[in-house]
Amino acid sequence: MKSRDTDLMLVNAYVDGELDASATLAFERRMAKDKTLQAAHGRVVALQNALAAKLRPAQISDSMQQRIATAFGPSTVPKALRFDWRQMAASAVVAAMLGGGATLVGLQRFAPSNSFDAIVAGHERSLLAATPVDVVSSDHHTVKPWFDQRLAVSPPVPDLAAEGYALVGGRVDIVGGKPVPTLVYKLRQHLISLVAVPHVGGSDEQAVGKFTTRDGYSVLTWPGSDFTYSAVSDVPKSELEAFAAKWRATGPAE
Amino acid sequence: MNETEQRRKFNSLVLPHLASALSLARWLTGDATDAEDVVQDASIRAFRAVETLRGEQPRAWLLSIVRNTAFTWLAKNRPKSLLVTDDEKVFEQAEAQMFATPRDGTAETELIAKADAENLQREIAALPIAYREVLVLRELEGMNYREIAALLQIPVGTVMSRLSRARALLVQRIGRDQAEERKPK
Repeated sequence: MKSRDTDLMLVNAYVDGELDASATLAFERRMAKDKTLQAAHGRVVALQNALAAKLRPAQISDSMQQRIATAFGPSTVPKALRFDWRQMAASAVVAAMLGGGATLVGLQRFAPSNSFDAIVAGHERSLLAATPVDVVSSDHHTVKPWFDQRLAVSPPVPDLAAEGYALVGGRVDIVGGKPVPTLVYKLRQHLISLVAVPHVGGSDEQAVGKFTTRDGYSVLTWPGSDFTYSAVSDVPKSELEAFAAKWRATGPAE
Repeated sequence: MNETEQRRKFNSLVLPHLASALSLARWLTGDATDAEDVVQDASIRAFRAVETLRGEQPRAWLLSIVRNTAFTWLAKNRPKSLLVTDDEKVFEQAEAQMFATPRDGTAETELIAKADAENLQREIAALPIAYREVLVLRELEGMNYREIAALLQIPVGTVMSRLSRARALLVQRIGRDQAEERKPK
């Protein structure tokens, strides 16, 4: 039955927010008068809620993250690599790689191993990407749980809008081969990435930040109680220090 | 592009999306170990191709490599899983049920809400692969219709009809599973 097909697609598109404003309005008017549409809508929503509540995104194991980061990232001997060479040799990819003279081992030598490089690279990638964040939200109540779900850790997310630093959202960066939470704030037209690398053991809350520059970006790093924070941006040192001071003073917003 | 740059680009653009890659590979292969193999293979391809990545969303770009790798892998190792048996009757029946307004209409949505992760996973895994991938990209990767269409290289209309059918089938089967489970013995 063709019209039923179409109606069901319409219900789905409505639930997924894929209808434009006028189509949404028209559909809502229709649905208000049509019990069968309401029933279909209720079922799609129930399913969507169940999937969102029960299914967790796959967590990548540390060992696998390390393995791939090792293959193409930091410079260590690829002993930990568990590639099945026989299987790989069968693939055209490997043939091409070997044919091209490049081997995984050969690639090991060139690797940005320094975490500052990784932090700045994360910031740069965010500027190149269509959006600098993976979760867009000015609300820390959205950003914190998003990190919790993805990484099982989340840094404090203070609300600094009143100070002129609007929260843009959060993303996942890779530092030292591990995924870490990064907050993104906006100061005028400048983005400030705040990378929070979890660490074990306490730290001096009063410790002074360490300032450095990479590729023309300023990086300010300071230790917190559970994370080591690095703020990176293209703003001058004084502005980055002002941001860090406000961020530390405001503390966690719960 | 020299190798340092290539590594840097891979590190910053591709590595952050490995979890998404693994998740998609799991849903496509149906097996955690096979998924790791697929992701490793896809990572090699992504590394080789990373210099061509410009302007696209890195995650969608990586997922399309994972998807192609997974299909190649399945064709070689489990060709049967790629056979799509489009049984129109099954879909039509599931679609019709979506509109039904019986007294127990509320009860059915409650049953779906009570389904546990294992039940949901089992029924998603049982969907034909063409329907499963659309559902997974929408519900678990949060991609919109246009992004899914671009990734799978199919028209948006096809995305809509597959998603619509996938959901209808899931609602029907999960509702049925839960009703079975709750039947007094």
